Amino acid sequence: MAKLLFEWDYSSYPGAKKYPHLFKPIQLGELTIPNRIKYAATEDNLNDHNGFVTDADVAYLKERAKGVVGGICTMQGVYMDEKRMGQGYVGQAAAWDDKFVPGLTRFVDAIHEERAVAACQLMHCGRVGAVEVDKCQGPSIVPQRLRIFRPVQEMTKADIKQCLKEHLDATERLLKAGFDVVEISGIVGYLLSNFVSSYTNRRTDEYGGDIRGRMKFVVELIQGVKKMCGDVPLGIRLCAEELLDDVRGNTHEESMITYEMAEEAGADFMSVTAGWQESIVPVISRDVPMGSWLHLAKRAKEHMKIPVQMAYRLFTPDIPNKAIGDGELDFWEMCRPMIADPLMPKKVLEGREEDVRHCVACNLCLARLFRDAPMTCYINPVCAHESDPAFATPEKTQDQKNIMIVGGGPAGLECAYSAARRGHEVHVYEKGEELGGTLLQASKAPYGDEELMTCINYQKTQCEKSGVTFHMGTEVTEDLIQEELPDSVVLATGPVYAKGEGTGFDRENVVNVLDVLSGDAKVGDKVVVWGNRKPGIGVALFLAKQGKKVTIVGKDKSAGFDVNPSFKWRYMIYLRQNGIMAYNDCDIESIDEKGVMVKTYDGYNFPVECDTVVVTERETNNSLKDIVQQEGIELFVVGDALVPRNLSSAVHDGYRIGIRI
Amino acid sequence: MSFNAEKEITKLWKNLHGAQDEIGKTYYRWREAALQFAGPDVKPLDVSLKTAEIMGMEIGKSFLPRLNWLKGEEAWLMNLAKNIAGNWINQGAIVEVEKGENPLEVFIKWKRCPWPTFAKEHGVDMEEDVLCCDMILQTILKDINEFFNTNYKIETLKAIPRGEGVCLRRLYKDNKQE
Repeated sequence: MAKLLFEWDYSSYPGAKKYPHLFKPIQLGELTIPNRIKYAATEDNLNDHNGFVTDADVAYLKERAKGVVGGICTMQGVYMDEKRMGQGYVGQAAAWDDKFVPGLTRFVDAIHEERAVAACQLMHCGRVGAVEVDKCQGPSIVPQRLRIFRPVQEMTKADIKQCLKEHLDATERLLKAGFDVVEISGIVGYLLSNFVSSYTNRRTDEYGGDIRGRMKFVVELIQGVKKMCGDVPLGIRLCAEELLDDVRGNTHEESMITYEMAEEAGADFMSVTAGWQESIVPVISRDVPMGSWLHLAKRAKEHMKIPVQMAYRLFTPDIPNKAIGDGELDFWEMCRPMIADPLMPKKVLEGREEDVRHCVACNLCLARLFRDAPMTCYINPVCAHESDPAFATPEKTQDQKNIMIVGGGPAGLECAYSAARRGHEVHVYEKGEELGGTLLQASKAPYGDEELMTCINYQKTQCEKSGVTFHMGTEVTEDLIQEELPDSVVLATGPVYAKGEGTGFDRENVVNVLDVLSGDAKVGDKVVVWGNRKPGIGVALFLAKQGKKVTIVGKDKSAGFDVNPSFKWRYMIYLRQNGIMAYNDCDIESIDEKGVMVKTYDGYNFPVECDTVVVTERETNNSLKDIVQQEGIELFVVGDALVPRNLSSAVHDGYRIGIRI
Repeated sequence: MSFNAEKEITKLWKNLHGAQDEIGKTYYRWREAALQFAGPDVKPLDVSLKTAEIMGMEIGKSFLPRLNWLKGEEAWLMNLAKNIAGNWINQGAIVEVEKGENPLEVFIKWKRCPWPTFAKEHGVDMEEDVLCCDMILQTILKDINEFFNTNYKIETLKAIPRGEGVCLRRLYKDNKQE
């Protein structure tokens, strides 16, 4: 009889009725899991740089354990070698010595306190490892395409033997720490995937050659770890599609052979993944529609009997619920949706989907990891601050104030509910008839930007639930401030749009980006977009999709300076595909009826023909500041009104002020 | 909107040529500094070859994201040859790429190259210039071959510094060893 760690009865919860397939038990090896939900292993760079577990990471994981409501909560993958060649992230936890066991036990205890299943992962990062040392390891010397990674050193047979031993020793420590499930990572360019792939494994010995030879290391590893695990279920994450055809990677038929071999070697479950960090195909960014990769899980199930798990753009519960019901998937894995909202599945279970803060698939979290920075989330300011109660769960205020928030965009709304939850009386004044600020227009840009509005929907709900009063269609004036005389004013008015230093900016053919996106401006067939940050890119793509010839002229050295690198590369491709030329390091010197004169940073001039110029350059908004200060009212400025940046800065600004007032 | 295209282009050309000239001068200034630090026991050619090796490695790496096997091997090879040519063109050379008789063979022809002139201006032996270019090209191919699991070779058939009018190199797939 399979073991059940914690009893869970979901029958009375609305979410279990709505999504019955997500909340029914499943057996992994000899263990019964009460539901089909798993927080997948996610690096967060929150641990000590010597591999010791920190309070910050324990608190981070405990919150996610609470979220899986009895499902699996996986800690980040551990590196297992003292030489640190397998370490891929500066804050990665280690398991190469018994001294790490007490820290690992803290993870188990934290997860068990939430009555969830504690899973751990063995992760040797292979040719994307060695973050703290000069050389990384791989089956063969194949140079790195991405320059941030280290040169590769070919593993000898002795190295392979040692690596196997390190995996087994680490497994013993993880089991000693009390983990209920063990998982081996073989994805995205980490060591196991390096062995499996024809792209990175050029060996001519028994660990290379055809797919069976290339799988030998993985098979030996599964067999060894499985033996140690006994009744503890063992899973593995492998690529169903490497998406490396451009560099002669594995075919999907070969990938399916790896799945069959993994099952045969003793794996109790398979976590299906797609793509490598080096893939030139988008996999998980916002421009990839949700559910796009489910066919891979379905294919995996056709080749194996063991349960199949999958993450990869399954951001809403209806998609995995249906897939499980249709027999295409067994487990709903999540990383980013639970970075954005650690309690996401719990809220789904409790029938509170409107309270879910949805991930916007921007990949900022990943971009930071590759740059040795701790985890953060674009739209969840509390992420990675779970261990700091003053920040994560601030106390009720002892000094209740009447707060006037000017502007119902992301910064204002975030500030509003954060302050209202602490007991303040909060009034949001929005001059328009709809909440959302500039996001109302920005979300009309193509390639998935409509998902940005989920942020506003969440904030609006939280405001309503925390008693924020909305004053829609109300423009805040000096008179209104004097009349209301609030204790604090938060200016969240958004930016003002810049007036260029050149001539002709007052012409009729110069229009504002918001008017263009709303459809309120007349735009010709040849357009110059002034500004090469995200608003410029968004409107340029929006217009190019309408068949217009678009040119971007902007002052930053490269277009998309304010977009994180893990997403920026997508925009660069889309600009190219849509025939949009971006002149960076440039400004507009003059505008006339024929077009614009562009001036480069080093003094060259050239004309660009156009009939319309779209202004996207923004500046700080100083309106109302003086009035508020003259009245002696406490003043805060947030979001683009403070410094024009992006959605993330608006949300984070709003929260920080909301918990401070 | 007054715009004098000829004036703007002339300005750009002048500055581009100035920058190209500076590349060669900077290289030889550093070479001189390295030799002075290295002392009399070190052969200048060894220092130059090491530099060429480092340059080749860097250039090779920069080609990796630009080469796509999905376009077919012939197109891939042509793209590689054009990338090599482009690197020298950026420095002021005139370089052409021509298909060979064999589909997996390409000829790269340098009709003009500033590097022999730089070498001459700095009193450096002409043969060193040929050997350094060879080293750069061989090192570029090393990474490319390892990355794409190919066996391409490049050989120098003619060289401007040897008084042969052009630099002519054959880039080809070595079927014998793959």
